[in-house]
Amino acid sequence: MKEDRPKPPLAGLIYGEIVYWGVLTGSLIVIVGSVLAFLGDNFVPVSYWMTSIWKGETVLQTWEGATGALPNGHWYLSHLTTGDGLSAFGISFGVFSVAPALFLSAAALFREKEWLYGSLAMVGGIVVMIGVLGLALMPK
Amino acid sequence: MNLRSSETARSEFSKQPVPLAKDKKGEKKKRKRPRKNRLWSLVTNVPELSILIMLIVGGYILMGVFSKVESTEVLSASSIWLIIVGSFLISTAIATLAVIGGIGGGVIFTPIMLGFTSLDSLVIRATGLVVAMFSGLVSTGPFMKTKLADIKLTFYCGVPITVGALVGSVSAIYLHEGLGDFGDGLVRLSLGILMLVVAWFLFTGGGKTEYPEPERIDRLSVLLGLNGFYWEESLGKVVHYQLTRALIGGIVFIALGFIGGFFGLGGGAFLTATLNLIMMAPVKIAAACSGVLLAISNATAIWTYITYGAMIAIFAAPWMLGQVVGGILGAHLLIRIRAGFVRKILIIILLVSSIKLIIRGVEEAFGINIPIL
Repeated sequence: MKEDRPKPPLAGLIYGEIVYWGVLTGSLIVIVGSVLAFLGDNFVPVSYWMTSIWKGETVLQTWEGATGALPNGHWYLSHLTTGDGLSAFGISFGVFSVAPALFLSAAALFREKEWLYGSLAMVGGIVVMIGVLGLALMPK
Repeated sequence: MNLRSSETARSEFSKQPVPLAKDKKGEKKKRKRPRKNRLWSLVTNVPELSILIMLIVGGYILMGVFSKVESTEVLSASSIWLIIVGSFLISTAIATLAVIGGIGGGVIFTPIMLGFTSLDSLVIRATGLVVAMFSGLVSTGPFMKTKLADIKLTFYCGVPITVGALVGSVSAIYLHEGLGDFGDGLVRLSLGILMLVVAWFLFTGGGKTEYPEPERIDRLSVLLGLNGFYWEESLGKVVHYQLTRALIGGIVFIALGFIGGFFGLGGGAFLTATLNLIMMAPVKIAAACSGVLLAISNATAIWTYITYGAMIAIFAAPWMLGQVVGGILGAHLLIRIRAGFVRKILIIILLVSSIKLIIRGVEEAFGINIPIL
């Protein structure tokens, strides 16, 4: 008897598709941001970022030279019209796609009465959100 | 990391039949297909990749021609553009090698950059997570579609690995703030030793088995229902599997998450081995799940670096784009490159960078000058 290929679970499809298209959307934003950084306005000049990194300055030195202090948060959200801000947003957008993917996948699992794995997906999503929201204790 | 595991897992990723270890006839048939047809099928099957590549190339041309970036005493405007474009090309190559080699790109990027450049270690580790993560993220969709990434196994291991990754990334910031150069030296030294272990794994192939059969199944694995089935292309039938050692696997994943988050390299080299050797997942399932888990754990760890300010977007952007393009390209097209050849390249890269890391680590941590390299 010929066997059929097994169909993927809905939760897996939801997770995979959200992450895949989220990353591609993030990539598009990064391309626009990179072009804007070279052609238009920036929160901090591109030449400063690159020179500072190239010289081996620490993160603290780089930010102190640019803005006077470490950003301690999602600085790019208030600078989305700048090249470097948009680039940072694009990378973050791609990374962030994991969180809604986990939550929506959890919802699909709950609908299929897979309570345990739905809960695990929720917990995973919450841990990601702890990182996103910067709730982990960081040095002052 | 077993290269064959990656090769076979990624073969499911591609929609075309791909050579497998036990499918010699298929292999011969496949290799006769003209390259032009394969390229064309890639363009038609994955149009988003073609669009992405065109946009990136167009963008870099625009950036080069109409650049308003000013030169500094250290870097000229043209050299900044060259660094950006060079980073993209190197990142694409790393992603391709990493996909074929079955290890996260961060395992190549982070040791080389920490060993051979004077860039700040936090900037390198933040960018290393970008490198480690994005090829895994883009491969998540196809792996889920082909059911190679087991959703139960992924979510069960996803919790411990994300917790470990978050703790690891926060620890990295604390160590960097608290110990300064000494801490950086310790990071280089321990990463150098870790890379020797990864090189050993690549050299020995990790001792994995294609279809492991657990002798004893623990009660927790049964309770969790950690079993599944997938379509085995080389056998032309459905393969059922049962996982075991759920508790030990979970604990190991906390440690692997910590390593990935702390060093900024993903730790993907050990994920497949853990899933295959400890939890007894078939090697294809282990390889696919490790890519997905790598992406989840790094997507948690990187936020610590982002919110701290260690991810410098202008520097990280071309590395991200290269990973996305290289990740898709490597999985769809370059599966036919001899994995053994890639393995040799990776072993050499890892050995050289681990030696350099150990030397720099000893020099920085203990102030001993070692006049080699």
